[in-house]
Amino acid sequence: MILDSHIPEGPLAEKWTRYKNSQRLVNPANKRKLNIIVVGTGLAGASAAASLGALGFNVDIFCLQDSPRRAHSIAAQGGINAAKNYQNDGDSVERLFKDTIKGGDYRAREANVYRLAEVSGDIIDQCVAQGVPFARDYGGLLDNRSFGGAQVSRTFYARGQTGQQLLLGAYGALSREINRGSVKLHSRHEMMELVVEEGVAKGIIARDLVTGELERYAAHAVVVASGGYGNVYYLSTNAMNSNVSAAWACHRKGAFFANPCYVQIHPTCIPVHGDYQSKLTLMSESLRNDGRIWVPKKKEDAEAIRKGEKGPLDIAEQDRDYYLERRYPAFGNLVPRDVASRAAKERCDAGYGVGTTGLAVFLDFASAIERLGRDVIEQRYGNLFQMYQKITDQNPYEVPMMIYPAVHYTMGGLWVDYELQTTIPGLFAAGEANFSDHGANRLGASALMQGLADGYFVLPYTLQNYLADKIYEGAATTEGEAFEKAEQAVRDRIAKLLNINGRHSVDHYHKALGRIMWEYCGMARSKESLAKAAEEVEKLKQEFRSDVYVPGKAEEMNPELEKACRLTDYFELAQLIIADATQREESCGGHFRIEHQTEDGETQRDDENFMFVGAWEYHGADTPEELHKEQLNYEHIQIVKRNYK
Amino acid sequence: MHFTLHIWRQENAHAKGHFEKYEIDNISPDCSFLEMLDQLNEQLVGDKIAHPVCFDNDCREGICGMCGLYINGRPHGNDDGVTTCQLHMRKFTDGDEIWIEPWRAKAFPVVRDLVVDRSAFDKIIQAGGYISVTTGGVPDANTIPIPKYVADQAMDAAECIGCGACVAACKNASAMLFVGAKVSHLGLLPQGQVEHLDRVRNMIVKMDELGFGGCTNTYACEAECPKQIKRQNIARLNREWIGQMFGRDRKN
Amino acid sequence: MVAVLGGFLLIFLLFHMSANLLILLNDGGAAYSAFCNFMGKTIAIRVMEVVLFGALLLHAVVALWLAATNRMSRPVGYHKPQKSKTHTTSKLMMWSGILIFVCLIMHFYDFYMVKIGLVKGEYMVKTEKLQDEEMSGIMQLANQMQMTPSDLVAAMKEEMATMGGDDEEADNYIESITAKIKVMDIVNNAYTNGNISADKKWIHRLNAEEKAVIKEAFPDSDVEPDFYYMARKKFKVWHIVLGYLVFFAVLFVHLTHAFPSAFQTLGLNNYKYNRAIEICGKIYTWVVCLGFAVIPIVIFLSE
Repeated sequence: MILDSHIPEGPLAEKWTRYKNSQRLVNPANKRKLNIIVVGTGLAGASAAASLGALGFNVDIFCLQDSPRRAHSIAAQGGINAAKNYQNDGDSVERLFKDTIKGGDYRAREANVYRLAEVSGDIIDQCVAQGVPFARDYGGLLDNRSFGGAQVSRTFYARGQTGQQLLLGAYGALSREINRGSVKLHSRHEMMELVVEEGVAKGIIARDLVTGELERYAAHAVVVASGGYGNVYYLSTNAMNSNVSAAWACHRKGAFFANPCYVQIHPTCIPVHGDYQSKLTLMSESLRNDGRIWVPKKKEDAEAIRKGEKGPLDIAEQDRDYYLERRYPAFGNLVPRDVASRAAKERCDAGYGVGTTGLAVFLDFASAIERLGRDVIEQRYGNLFQMYQKITDQNPYEVPMMIYPAVHYTMGGLWVDYELQTTIPGLFAAGEANFSDHGANRLGASALMQGLADGYFVLPYTLQNYLADKIYEGAATTEGEAFEKAEQAVRDRIAKLLNINGRHSVDHYHKALGRIMWEYCGMARSKESLAKAAEEVEKLKQEFRSDVYVPGKAEEMNPELEKACRLTDYFELAQLIIADATQREESCGGHFRIEHQTEDGETQRDDENFMFVGAWEYHGADTPEELHKEQLNYEHIQIVKRNYK
Repeated sequence: MHFTLHIWRQENAHAKGHFEKYEIDNISPDCSFLEMLDQLNEQLVGDKIAHPVCFDNDCREGICGMCGLYINGRPHGNDDGVTTCQLHMRKFTDGDEIWIEPWRAKAFPVVRDLVVDRSAFDKIIQAGGYISVTTGGVPDANTIPIPKYVADQAMDAAECIGCGACVAACKNASAMLFVGAKVSHLGLLPQGQVEHLDRVRNMIVKMDELGFGGCTNTYACEAECPKQIKRQNIARLNREWIGQMFGRDRKN
Repeated sequence: MVAVLGGFLLIFLLFHMSANLLILLNDGGAAYSAFCNFMGKTIAIRVMEVVLFGALLLHAVVALWLAATNRMSRPVGYHKPQKSKTHTTSKLMMWSGILIFVCLIMHFYDFYMVKIGLVKGEYMVKTEKLQDEEMSGIMQLANQMQMTPSDLVAAMKEEMATMGGDDEEADNYIESITAKIKVMDIVNNAYTNGNISADKKWIHRLNAEEKAVIKEAFPDSDVEPDFYYMARKKFKVWHIVLGYLVFFAVLFVHLTHAFPSAFQTLGLNNYKYNRAIEICGKIYTWVVCLGFAVIPIVIFLSE
């Protein structure tokens, strides 16, 4: 199968305009007759549903939390990029586009990224109009900060809660549409299955998480905006309920899954401190603006710190190794995330790590406090410092923070074309759930940008183009064999899990899976480690199938059952990640193969053989998936080695 | 650390609930309150005796607003400015008895165990907690300058995570702080001024309709708000409510 | 609603307190009595009195109704009592309010029952109302002879009898002034016992019988309840003083919350003025409660 990305003709800068000018539209009277299902209420889902509802479509939106406002977009701290050039520092659409492509290590699709950069400014306008209280300077105009991977200040922010404020903006827009009746909200509902009839997406089966009942929903198009799959590692910065199951249900039904091996490890998280730990807390990347990262220069100092004999303040300035500043003088502490994460791992693996586990490095604000004063630092990062103190019981104003990388974002996801349509007609994917814009690594403050771009400014156009035909089809119905079968499949799956009645809890297996993935398919991978991972995951999967214990019934609120369903999908996904990582014999962005690195430990791409999107096709449980390649053609951009020195 | 837990168990919305006593051991002081409950649930699943305790949680970093337990007489437990997921066991002493209850309010019915239905908050927002702009066709973001202190005040109010601790803490189960925060957030900004008075009226009417109580200025909400939202937002709400009563006649 | 009415009551309280402080003046009740008289006579004040009652009642009724509906907002309560850091006084509003209301009823009982005459108290009357040219002669004479007016009249009567003659006219005349003579006695007593205000405008401490006598002789004399002396008498009894002090303590609790709370409810505060409102509230509450409380204390302690 040849993957067609449906990129419009014409020069890069005109593609999106041309597309909009020539796309098909649905007239207002007909919009009312068309149903759209949106799964997920994060930035992408909420903004899409609000925009589509405002256009006049009938939208059903689903979230598994009690309220759409809880979606994990809310946890994004740092900011959102936009090529506004308000700072007059030389920013432009072109530059944002280039930074994003370069940041993604030349593994993203040019046309999509350009469109993203193009609409980025509109997002800021939209959000300000919605009442998002972005930070302002004393003149009353919008303020910007700089972020990793860029040499301009283009990041708009609302204290350390940008994601929250943007999501509340989208949630407000969504609430307005709910009030107007164009959008119907189904909270505490989880999508269990995609219904496909004659190769076209027709609806979903959802489980009411309160009663446990299965419900059918039909539509003319389905949008999946269910976020990323970082929780396959168990410990990640994702929320507890974040999962891959909605996207995986689509994958099982024929939607290709692209680039699963691209997993972003965020460099600034609070280190792991115990077995019981359920998640890792991110400290915003913005901290790297003023914080300096270091480890002791001498191994004995590092050892003394690990044993608790010395504190960070006992290490003299000349005995500290500011390794990012040393290795990357040009970008210093602001190198992209993958680079910073690997550098931290490199130091810790070499024996210079600190913290009780030796898996931590210092992030020091002493010099910034000295330079700017405690007040300024408090104003910039007060809430982050407070959060750190609550968790670790240490005061970061006095003692350097300890940080370590953790799984954060997944660049891979459902394969989509330029219109964000998957390989199943009528099924669209938006936000982190798709793979499209970040290549092999996402730059800070770009996830919010992409989610909102997809929801506000891309899907409302491309969905109409698809739906223009559907007005002849009549009302969407939940009758028919396809729905019947899909519902039965879910019922069977649930019954199977409940009947195993084994010895161990779901979390037991999830933790084990996470350990395997982190150990052998984490920040650095090799052929051997991946083979080991494949073997162990398969073993664990079999164990899970025969020895998991899921208490309770299907027809009740049953979080253990929910987790079990999700873990079933994670096992398959884990195997796909391993397969993809094995297949990709190069290092790029978030995918680092030990065999493929430069002499000084940087990623070594193989543009000749691997400049493609790896899109996988599902052929049934326990059957190896099939790889399809979408070649990436860079017409506009000149490919160079990614260099932040 | 060792704890004796008394947890509210209720099978579903219609069932009669009761407190169940559990003992739990080997809890690290660095462990969060929810991680402690995770361990209890592991224990319950392992023993195959009781259904694990249901409790709402998601981001576990204090921003999603999903978690919320009434712990020993305080929403989000014995620490200021935190959500339940940010409460750490080091705040307790070894051997403590801990009573864990769900939020109690007419507008927040119990769904199961410690899980309550907070969709009433969504309904209040749907009644007007937004600025009515559709996608596209908005002016450039820098068209209207906003004084920094105004933007900052709006942001202070906008930090609300909708967890419901204010309602849980209030002796009247009032949602005034929640509504006040939203009204302040939007009303302070020039963009939100256009619909301001309608917003105030619609949200308050909806709040009353949903069975929340009135404000008697006890300020338990302010004391328990994990985002430390100030009671001045309630004063602003009151002011605007009175203002809209005497405000412009919309019929002409 | 509660706040507006409460605010109104707050203003009244301040007024009431300043008036009460007049009791402390050692002028034999002159200022206070004049004040009471003014209050009793002015139509506007009488209207205000009704409005005030209405406000108080509405304040209580609305507050109770609110408390009831607020309770319905949480049909199932918590097992563990609330431990949040709150304004404790605010949680006591209903209870302190009810207590205050009960005390007020007792207070009204004291006040109005005497006023409308259902309960006997002490009374006072304006001296100018008792003036009578005829009488003043007798009074002066009696004073000169250091006799009470009735003794004087009796003596005169006796003298006339000894002088013989059956002077029917004189008898009739004496008969006609007997009532007034009795009043003269009362006035005389007041002078000798010091029951007259410093400005000599009021005769105090009349009992019910005396009141009846005066009423009979001077139908338009307006005998009023004598709150000045009644208060002074009351506040000599230790348990009444204690009762009042407790009442003011409860009032203090109520007002501590009430003052800033009224501003909050009316939205008349913001970050800038909060501190000022808080301070004003404290000053107000202390002044009012201390102002009230100082009266029984001083009276109790004074000889």
